[in-house]
Amino acid sequence: MPDTPATIPSTAPVLPARAPGDTRALRLGVAGPVGTGKSSVIATLCRELAGEMELGVVTNDIYTDEDARFLRSAGVLDPERIRAVETGACPHTAIRDDVTANLLAVEDLEQDFAPLDVVLVESGGDNLTATFSPALVDAQIFVLDVAGGGDVARKGGPGIARADLLLVNKTDLAPHVGVDVGRMVADASAARGGRPVLALSRHDRASVDALGAWLRGLLLEHRAGRHVAQDPGPMAPHFHAGEEGGHVHAHDGGAGHHHDDDHAPGHAPAVTSPA
Amino acid sequence: MRPAVSQDVLLALLADARLPTGAHTQSAGLEPALRAGLHPDDVPAYLAARLRTVVRVESATAVVARHAVLRGLGASGVDTPAATAALRVVEGEWAARTPSAALRRSSEQLGRGYLRLARRLWAGHPALAALEAVPRGPVGHAAGGAGRTAPAGPAGAGRAGPPGSSGRGRRGPARPLVLGVTAACAGLDPIGVARLVALDDVQTVASAFLKLAPVDPLVTTGWVLAAAPAVDALARDVAHLTVAADLPAAGAPLTEEWAEAHVHATERLFSA
Ligand SMILES: Nc1nc2c(ncn2[C@@H]2O[C@H](COP(=O)(O)OP(=O)(O)OP(=O)(O)O)[C@@H](O)[C@H]2O)c(=O)[nH]1
Ligand SMILES: [Mg+2]
Repeated sequence: MPDTPATIPSTAPVLPARAPGDTRALRLGVAGPVGTGKSSVIATLCRELAGEMELGVVTNDIYTDEDARFLRSAGVLDPERIRAVETGACPHTAIRDDVTANLLAVEDLEQDFAPLDVVLVESGGDNLTATFSPALVDAQIFVLDVAGGGDVARKGGPGIARADLLLVNKTDLAPHVGVDVGRMVADASAARGGRPVLALSRHDRASVDALGAWLRGLLLEHRAGRHVAQDPGPMAPHFHAGEEGGHVHAHDGGAGHHHDDDHAPGHAPAVTSPA
Repeated sequence: MRPAVSQDVLLALLADARLPTGAHTQSAGLEPALRAGLHPDDVPAYLAARLRTVVRVESATAVVARHAVLRGLGASGVDTPAATAALRVVEGEWAARTPSAALRRSSEQLGRGYLRLARRLWAGHPALAALEAVPRGPVGHAAGGAGRTAPAGPAGAGRAGPPGSSGRGRRGPARPLVLGVTAACAGLDPIGVARLVALDDVQTVASAFLKLAPVDPLVTTGWVLAAAPAVDALARDVAHLTVAADLPAAGAPLTEEWAEAHVHATERLFSA
């Protein structure tokens, strides 16, 4: 498994005791473009770790609570521990500029099932630029998949470059979509300056083990007070695929900028190059 | 001591759509209204109808809550039990004038968001302590939600609730109560908080419309400006109120019916 620290535990770590009354969980965000496998990754983490950690899940859905229902029906966690937040057509806003609805849901879970070890927060599926505010999560995973194309990792963006963990998911599909996983992981690693990248498939046991081990290690660091939340960065100028060869969209509008999910076709063209 | 802030700047700050309170999840009833067949051309009339009914109640409630908490705290400014008792009366009167459980729930959800803001910006203010001491109904687990009679114990354990039911469950103070208390903390005048509630409603509808129907944003901004005289008139009408029993009681059966239906709607963009 590439680029993962050798020190991570492969079985349940012995966690430092919490201060009495401390019910704040490690809050872990899971972001990434639509359909790359965020809900599946959360289901996998629950399946692997619910036996050894107290988990809670908050999903963000643009339309009603599809993801929460998927996760509840997966039967990997008590359905009561899975809460849906509706993001009012603004998935980035809900994890970045105004995290109120999500924080309330996280705090409710922490209180209802105290003490939780980890609360996983799934962002509404979005483009390459949406990342979590450190006001909402302590750490974040960014999920890409091979089906999105081997060059996505090179395109970069704050999540790809600076999330705590980058997943290249669905590697089992690589032969079918003509993607060289090794190449994609190498591109991603180059863009990340040594931060971990994991090639994942739910059909690849070793990769699933590595994912569980990463979260154990993170929780250990967090409990020991050694983990410092990193901000991958705000909305950077980003690439919109799908329109005539795509275009770069620059976020230079300051705090007043309101980022809608469907950019009008006549959207302002590039004024700066991608970060 | 915090330097004084002008009424104008306070109002602009609190009425700003960028205020982080979770309000971007709201359409002020517009989404269910459009689904129920409201014609887009009738949105200005919809705004006016809201200002005459539900918004009038909300705005007046905020004014009276502001008065109640300041009066309750007394000359010493620290008599929180008296302020809590006064706020409790206001909340009861508000609830009696807000017959839709769905509307009360979304107001409470929004209230929690504003409370989070006020707690940070006016930390330690006795008006907030008074508000937080107002007793709440049972706090069940999420599914089932507040305002419904949930059985004791984990509600609906093992089953998914209706769409969006989770995360809406916990009780909180209603939005107009929190805004009234925030006005007390911030030093915003009665007419200012009355305007705040009314203008915020109009702006919420206008910005939600952009996500629900194709229109030039300048058109919806025009609606807001056109509604401004009604906003001001409403604020003038309710700013003098001090007694909870005097709150206006203007029913809006369609608004209430649409709000109830929206709780069970699937594929919605806005939670209310
Ligand atoms: N082949 C394969 N398919 C996968 C894997 N992980 C997820 N999928 C499939 O990818 C699709 C999308 O997965 P989700 O987990 O719903 O993706 P998501 O990112 O949560 O999607 P949104 O929330 O809609 O953005 C589903 O059909 C999954 O079954 C994998 O490891 N291999
Ligand atoms: Mg999902």
